[in-house]
Amino acid sequence: MKQTPHMRTLALLAWRNLWRNSRRTLITLTTVTLGFAIAVFFIGIGDGAHNQMIRNGVRMGDGHLAVLPKGYLEAPANHVFLRQGKAAARILAASGVVGRVSPRINLQVLASTANNSVGAMLQGMVLDKDPRAESIKKGIIQGVWPLTADSRGVVIGSRMAAKLKAKVGSKIVVLAGTSAGESSSRLGRVRAVFHTGVDDLDGYVMLSNLEFARAFLLEEGGEAALEPVTSFGILLDNETTLPLWEARLKGLQWPAEAQVADWREIMPQLVNYILVDDMGNYVALGFVLVMVAFGILNTISMSVLERTREFGLLRALGMNPLGVMLLVMWEAWWLSLVSLVLGWTVGGGIHQYFATQGWDLSKMMGDQGLVTSGVVMDPVLYSELSWGRVGLLTLVILATILISGLYPAFRAFRVTPVQALET
Amino acid sequence: MTPTEDTPVLLRCENLTRVYKQGEVEVHALSGVSLVLWEKEFTALVGPSGSGKTTFLNLIGGLDKPTSGELFINGTDLTRLSPAKLAAFRLYQVGFVFQSYNLVPVLSALENVAFVMVLQGRPPKERNERAHHYLERVGLADLAHRRPKALSGGQQQRVAVARALAAGPRLVLADEPTANLDSESAFGLLDLMHDLNRQEGITFLFSTHDPRVVERAGRVITLRDGRVVVGE
Ligand SMILES: Nc1ncnc2c1ncn2[C@@H]1O[C@H](COP(=O)(O)OP(=O)(O)OP(=O)(O)O)[C@@H](O)[C@H]1O
Ligand SMILES: [Mg+2]
Repeated sequence: MKQTPHMRTLALLAWRNLWRNSRRTLITLTTVTLGFAIAVFFIGIGDGAHNQMIRNGVRMGDGHLAVLPKGYLEAPANHVFLRQGKAAARILAASGVVGRVSPRINLQVLASTANNSVGAMLQGMVLDKDPRAESIKKGIIQGVWPLTADSRGVVIGSRMAAKLKAKVGSKIVVLAGTSAGESSSRLGRVRAVFHTGVDDLDGYVMLSNLEFARAFLLEEGGEAALEPVTSFGILLDNETTLPLWEARLKGLQWPAEAQVADWREIMPQLVNYILVDDMGNYVALGFVLVMVAFGILNTISMSVLERTREFGLLRALGMNPLGVMLLVMWEAWWLSLVSLVLGWTVGGGIHQYFATQGWDLSKMMGDQGLVTSGVVMDPVLYSELSWGRVGLLTLVILATILISGLYPAFRAFRVTPVQALET
Repeated sequence: MTPTEDTPVLLRCENLTRVYKQGEVEVHALSGVSLVLWEKEFTALVGPSGSGKTTFLNLIGGLDKPTSGELFINGTDLTRLSPAKLAAFRLYQVGFVFQSYNLVPVLSALENVAFVMVLQGRPPKERNERAHHYLERVGLADLAHRRPKALSGGQQQRVAVARALAAGPRLVLADEPTANLDSESAFGLLDLMHDLNRQEGITFLFSTHDPRVVERAGRVITLRDGRVVVGE
C-alpha cells in the first residue's frame, strides 16, 4: 500500500528517533549490554564446566563409547564380563574407529596387608596405554609405573597406602568373592603410590595390568584363550564424531553377550546433573531477559507516550496506522541491533577472557580436589560457547526486544490524529 | 479570488453536526453547518474560542467524522469513507498547517517537505525537485538542511506550508497558523499563502483570531456556538 512509506524512510526515521533522547537510549543499552554480558558469562562458564565434566568423565570413565556385557550398567558385578573379549576386540579393530580402544577389567575386591584390610576397586588395564591411567600417572609420589609385562605389580593411592601401611615393594593380598560363594585371591606387589587429592581415587582405586586382574575372571569361568575383559572403553580422537561412530558401532554384529553404550548411557547421573545445572542457568538467563524486556518496554513506551502528538501528525499527514506501528517496531529493531553488537562485544570479551585465562576456583576449594556427580573437576573453569549457544542467545535477546516493542507499537497504532493533535 | 457562476464547487456541506459526549454531558461543537467552498478561494474562518472552528476543520480534513449531516469534497462523500480511505484522502487531497509542532523533529526542512511525497510513493527525483522548489518558494532554500529545532516559529510554519503544497493537494487547511507568530511573521506567512493561492490556484481555508489577518482573506466565514452566522 502506498500509504505505508518506504521501509528505508521508516528505518531512517526510527534510527534518528532512537538517538533523540540519547541519554535514555544509552542507559537502556547499558542495561541490555550488562544483562547480555551476564548471560554470556553464565552460559559460557556453565557450558565450560559441563563440557569439562563430560571430558573428564569420559576420560576417567569408560570413554565416549564402550562395549559392555549386557546387564552390566544395571547391575555391575565381578561375574558380569565379556567372555569373548578377543572377538569383541577384533570387531572393534575392524570397525576402523578413530580413537583409543582400551580393554578393562573392573572388580570389587578386598585388599589386605598384614596390618589391615580395605575394600577396593581393582582396575585391570594396559597400564602403559590406557588414557584412564594417564592422569593417575601424573600423581605418582613413590615408586615407578609398572611395565605392561609386569603381571604382579599394582598401583595404589596414598590413602589406601596409609590405611594398609603399605609402601612400594609391599605385598598385598587381593581377594575377590566368586558367584559360587567362594573366593579367590592373588598376591600383588605395590610398584607405585599416587596422590590425586580426590579421596575416592586415593583411597579406593587399585590399578594393575590386565593379566593380574584377568586371573579372577578365569576363576569365574572365563577362558584365557578368549581373553575375557569387563569392557572396552573407546575414547574418540574427535568428540564431534560421536554420533557417527555410535551409529556405526551399534550397527555391527556383536557377540550375543555384548552391547555398545555411549557416555550418556554409562553415566546417567552426570547427564542428570548437567540437566539440573543447566536449568539453574536458564533461570538466571530468564531473569536477565525479564530485566532486558522491562528496560526496553520502558524505554519504548516512554518514547511512544511522549510522541503521541507526533504520531498524530504522521497520521494526519496520511500515514496509516500500520506505518506508525512499523515505525515503532523499527525503533525496537534498531535498539536490538545496537544492543546485540554491544552485547556481543562486551559478552564476547568476557567469554574470550574466561576461555583463555580461565576462572580459578582453587582458592575457594582449598587443596581438596572437587568431585561433582562422581566426576573429578579441574579447579580452573574455562568458558565455552558453541555456535548453537551464540545463535540461541542472539535469537532469544532479539525476540525479547522485539516482543517488548509490540505493546508500545500497538499503542502507537491506536493513536488517532484528532486526539493526538489536541494534546 | 471571487467565484463566478462557473467556478467549480470544491466542498459542500449540509447540516453538519458534531456532538462530543463527555460522560452524561453532550457538547454540541457544531450544530448544523451548511456551506459551499469554491475552488481557488482564500477563506478565513473566524469566531470566538469554542465556536467550533477546529472541529469544522478536522471534519473537512477527514481527521474526524461528523455526528450527522453531509460532507462532499470534490464529489466524494467523506462521511462514508473507511479510516484507511480517509487516510488516503488526507494524503492526496488535503494539506495541513497546524498551529504548532507541524514538523517531524528528526527530519530536516527539506526532508519534512518531501515526507508526504514519500508517503504518496512519488519517485525520489520528483520529490527532491518539488521539495526544493517549494522551499525556495517559501524563501527557505538556504535552510533546507536544518532541523526544525534550528528554525524560528515563522520559518517552521513556512516549511509546513511548503510541505502542504509540495504534496499537490486540492485544499490546504490551516488551523490558526499564525497564532504563535509575532505580527511581522504572521503577515509574512499570510502574504505567502495568499501568493500561493493566486499563483498556484490552491484553495485555502484557515482559522484565525487575528482581525488584521482576516483583512487579507477573500472571504470570511464566522462561526458562533457551532453555527455559521456570517459568510454562508
Ligand atoms: N474532544 C472533545 N471532547 C469534548 N468537547 C470538545 C472536544 N473538542 C472540542 N470540544 C468542545 O467543542 C466546542 C468547539 O471546540 P473547537 O475546538 O472546535 O473550538 P474553536 O473554535 O477551535 O476554539 P479555539 O478558538 O479556542 O481553538 C468547544 O465547546 C469545545 O470545548
Ligand atoms: Mg481551535
